[in-house]
Amino acid sequence: MSARECREFDKALSRGERAVAALEIHAGACADCRERLRLWREISEAAPELHKSWDSPHLFPGIARALSAETRSAPAAPAADSPARRRRFAWVPAAVAASLFVLSMVGLYVFKPGESARDPFARPSMGKEPLMSNQTLKEVEDAESNYLSSIEKLSRLAEPRMANPDSPLLVSYREKLQLLDSAIGDLRGQLEGNRFNTHLRKELLAMYQEKKHTLEEVLKEVKS
Amino acid sequence: MQVGRPLENRSPVSSFAKEALLPESERPGEQRDDETRLLEECRAGSVEAFERLYELHGARMKSIAANLLGSVADAEDAVQDCFLKVYRGAASFRGDSRFSTWIYRVLVNSCYDTLRQRRRRPVEARPEKWAPETDPELAAPASDHALRLSLEACVRDLDPRRRAAFLLFAVEGFTHREVGDILGVPEGTSKTLLFEAKRELQRRLAKKGMAPRADA
Repeated sequence: MSARECREFDKALSRGERAVAALEIHAGACADCRERLRLWREISEAAPELHKSWDSPHLFPGIARALSAETRSAPAAPAADSPARRRRFAWVPAAVAASLFVLSMVGLYVFKPGESARDPFARPSMGKEPLMSNQTLKEVEDAESNYLSSIEKLSRLAEPRMANPDSPLLVSYREKLQLLDSAIGDLRGQLEGNRFNTHLRKELLAMYQEKKHTLEEVLKEVKS
Repeated sequence: MQVGRPLENRSPVSSFAKEALLPESERPGEQRDDETRLLEECRAGSVEAFERLYELHGARMKSIAANLLGSVADAEDAVQDCFLKVYRGAASFRGDSRFSTWIYRVLVNSCYDTLRQRRRRPVEARPEKWAPETDPELAAPASDHALRLSLEACVRDLDPRRRAAFLLFAVEGFTHREVGDILGVPEGTSKTLLFEAKRELQRRLAKKGMAPRADA
């Protein structure tokens, strides 16, 4: 049989070691497979010759020095389950449990949910927020009116450009201002029935501050 | 810990090592008891125990590391590193495998670590490849020399797992069970890895035009 035609050895290779060993009879009649089978065996025969051997008189003394240095820096640890080791680390579970308990208590104290958090449908801060005195309310309303007057001034200056914004940035500013106006309207509506609510006042003030800041940004953008 | 006597004048392959080179089935039964005793002594940090461990396995360890890393210096570093890891890990060794195979597993993993580090290093900093033809100790009969060199070159190019399986079984004489323990794979996988390695070697050698020995 021609060497090029014979695929028996390749087939045997795809089937495994036993199939290669079973090629003996076929190899008797096929020179190509005989040669390949002989090379296959020679790989195993030659393999032990790859064992490397050389003198390294300084290797173990070096290892011994390294081991000695290691023991000096950290004495040999007792066996994993030895009583000494168990006694040595007996406090660990208790310490972990205590730490977890303390952390839980701190977490509960810090993140304790308020009334509104427990009832998502509750009106915000109604009843639980401390109420302001008349004097404080007057001061807050004065501050609000100051904000309102400066916002009005700024709005007048920005209005021509905001009516016809010519850049994507101005368009986004206009959308932000519309959102702020809507939020301010809602808060003022809520405050009409509860003028002394500190939380709502704070939120309204924050909205005014944000609107003022946004208008200032718009004017800066227009000037540049 | 007392440092044992120096080994400068000792033969690198002692009688213990020769015994260790025998297949598992042919080794004397008391060797396993010795191993347990050796493990306990290593756990206690006895340098004498490590010296005996070196006598038993040092030659094979060096050979495996040299074949995996292709450099004598790196091989010796890997063996030293392995001994330190064995010392550090002996206390937590649970005996899921034999102590001796565990040592080789530590060694093979150390070699893989070195290979990984080497891949990260610039090319010029890499150590020179193993050059067996320059080592008189390794000089083989002229008829075998070409095949051995080609085989060595082809083994170096094998996939790491196949290479390790081939080196451990065909070169160092471990059983498939031991190879499986060392590589952390089932015995059957060790057989498959070895067969794949040989198939790859056959192809590569044939491609190199490597003819079988005339006297075979």
